[in-house]
Amino acid sequence: MNNETATPVLEVKHLKKVFGKNEVLKDINEQVSNGQVICLIGPSGAGKSTFLRCLNMLDQPTSGEVLFEGQDLTKLDDKQLDKTRENMGMVFQSFNLFPHKTVIENIKLAPVKVKGEDDATATATAEKLLKQVGLENKADAFPASLSGGQQQRVAIARALAMNPKVMLFDEPTSALDPEMVGEVLKVMQDLASEGMTMVVVTHEMGFARNVADKVWFMADGYIQESAEPKIFFEHPETDRAKDFLAKILEA
Amino acid sequence: MKKISKWLLLVLTIVVTLGVTGDMNTKADSNTPATDQYLSKVKAKGELVVGTSPDFPPYEFTKNINGKSKVVGMDMEISKKVAHDMGVKLVIRRMDFDSLLVALQTGKVDMVIAGMSKTPKRAKSVDFSNVYYKAGEDLVIKKSDLKTIKSYKSLAGKAIGAQTGSIQYNLVKNQATKSTLKGMDKDTDLILALQTNKIDAIALDQPTAEAYAKNTDGLVAINAHFKDEGEQGSAIAFPKGAQSLVNSANKSIAEIKAKNLIHKQYLPNAGKYLATGKSKSAKAANSMWAYKDFFIAGVGYTLMISAVSVVIGFLLGTLLALMRLSKNKIANGISVSYIEFVRGTPLMVQILFIYFGLGLVVNIPALLSGIIAVSLNSGAYVAEVIRSGISSIAVGQTEASRSLGLSRSMTMRFIILPQAMKNIWPALGNEFVSLIKESSIVSIIGVKDLIYQSRIVQADTYRGVMPLLITMILYFIMTFGLSRLMKFFEGRMTHE
Ligand SMILES: Nc1ncnc2c1ncn2[C@@H]1O[C@H](COP(=O)(O)OP(=O)(O)OP(=O)(O)O)[C@@H](O)[C@H]1O
Ligand SMILES: [Mg+2]
Repeated sequence: MNNETATPVLEVKHLKKVFGKNEVLKDINEQVSNGQVICLIGPSGAGKSTFLRCLNMLDQPTSGEVLFEGQDLTKLDDKQLDKTRENMGMVFQSFNLFPHKTVIENIKLAPVKVKGEDDATATATAEKLLKQVGLENKADAFPASLSGGQQQRVAIARALAMNPKVMLFDEPTSALDPEMVGEVLKVMQDLASEGMTMVVVTHEMGFARNVADKVWFMADGYIQESAEPKIFFEHPETDRAKDFLAKILEA
Repeated sequence: MKKISKWLLLVLTIVVTLGVTGDMNTKADSNTPATDQYLSKVKAKGELVVGTSPDFPPYEFTKNINGKSKVVGMDMEISKKVAHDMGVKLVIRRMDFDSLLVALQTGKVDMVIAGMSKTPKRAKSVDFSNVYYKAGEDLVIKKSDLKTIKSYKSLAGKAIGAQTGSIQYNLVKNQATKSTLKGMDKDTDLILALQTNKIDAIALDQPTAEAYAKNTDGLVAINAHFKDEGEQGSAIAFPKGAQSLVNSANKSIAEIKAKNLIHKQYLPNAGKYLATGKSKSAKAANSMWAYKDFFIAGVGYTLMISAVSVVIGFLLGTLLALMRLSKNKIANGISVSYIEFVRGTPLMVQILFIYFGLGLVVNIPALLSGIIAVSLNSGAYVAEVIRSGISSIAVGQTEASRSLGLSRSMTMRFIILPQAMKNIWPALGNEFVSLIKESSIVSIIGVKDLIYQSRIVQADTYRGVMPLLITMILYFIMTFGLSRLMKFFEGRMTHE
């Protein structure tokens, strides 16, 4: 992939986010090209989740621009934002499946209610996606009866059902028992190799190293380093990053 | 029960200060020529609506005639004559004694006749006809006490009951200072209290006392020997300024007196209804089974009021909860004030206010008033339950839903509310069960719910406990049935 010349799908300019007196994001300037996989890493409380939530406007930035396919999302009204979010799937640390709906209902909900797809089409898509994440036999199960890894795979399928242009992952494996991390990362890796544009907040350094096109290291309200994984992991520039990597590798 | 009168007074004060009770200052005496429109209005609608509290034999009481409860008695015969002389139909409205004057002032009824004594205090808010009947005061006591109780003076240190707001109530208060005074709204409750030894005597108007003594085993009436406090006797009450009606009634009363109709005709007629009280056939008629239609009708009304109020209360509660959780300051403010206000005032006052207070602006029938009040009240409580349910859903659910492109309202509808409902279902069930029970308060404005019907059966049969027991069982069946139903749906909602 030639990242330098591809059109940016996502771009943030001077993004700033303040909670009360807490300046979480100070001045972020980055862009994501089509098909790129970004891994966002950094210490706890750095503002990674906040940044991700600013990308699809679940959190309103305090100032700055968030451009999706060239359109500044901070200028859109609620309706236009709802429309935009259809194109940006999001996967959460705690899965957030809808517990009152079965697996397949979870997946079909948005395509039917938001896009107005008919039931047969939505069902077909859902079944295909379930197969893709290896859960075709769980269609009629309720989320509570699934393991964490299975739930997270359903959550990914649910986001994919809207056929998004970008997928945002917020520590998708952090809440999982170690033996289930692999199955979720595998699904994500497959997605990446199919060319999905992804922004992944993760503590899985192996995944960042092997799958990411670029690693962003966030600390103190800034993206401190933005580099290819090989360069970042082998030659971190800032003391902040060196410190962070040392701690991670210790653990 | 005494609370009712206090609240009524409050509602009345509000109504009066709102300045909508018409001309309160018109000085009226019997010779004033009439210039008002009251009589012509009554004639125009062709009916005279009379308010009464039918638990006061022989003045007015109810009788089960062919399965229907009819108000009969001396006052009703007089009303018939008054209406007849005006050339209109007589329509009788039953209500609590305490509500009568408010009903008169707020235009719910055209006149009130209820063995009501003409007192200066009452004459401040209504106009009275001439006195049509004056009787002394008796005490109803147990036969076994006949030797020890000779007058109110023998009752030092004991409890005397009287109907709240009645002349006898004041006589006991002023003269029997060594006795405890127990005020109740219903004579039937007083009789029950006497029979169950809660009180030792009841101060009653003489003909009433005799009627009860004659029809209740083990009770007798004796002269109370109260000092005369200048009572004028019973008169008919009309709205302040309704001189035309007063004049017309006075003419009828003059004729009744001239022909001595009360003693020759009205009292004996009333006695005939009462006399059957102890006969064998009456005993049979007094079995609860003979009154099954009353209970069925009562259950019907109670269920209807509850069902409608549950639905409206639920919808209103949902709306209020959403308003309360919304970011819109105005919606939030309205919702918070509404919920706090409704939860901070008694349902009883709300009902009285809607029926009597709002009734001044638009005439809302009692049943509708009751349903509106109970629904509005329930909405406030349901809102808080639903709000807690919505707040209990993790924020991640909203985020997941919004990230999929669902709008705020779709998220509420498809994701949050269904889950919230499941969480609050038991609390909601409790809310509805208490709604069934609390709906019983609508009987104070004369809605014919289960409580109201059991009152009628009590009055009709002179049996205090049995109708109450049946009523209690019927309420239990309804509430128990509802909570089973809620459990059933709860089970169906559980997926885990
Ligand atoms: N809604 C909010 N209101 C106030 N402060 C918030 C809010 N959300 C996040 N913060 C604060 O912003 C800072 C960054 O939080 P964020 O969750 O973005 O960090 P993070 O990098 O994702 O950390 P972690 O690795 O622990 O998930 C924290 O100090 C947090 O307390
Ligand atoms: Mg985070």
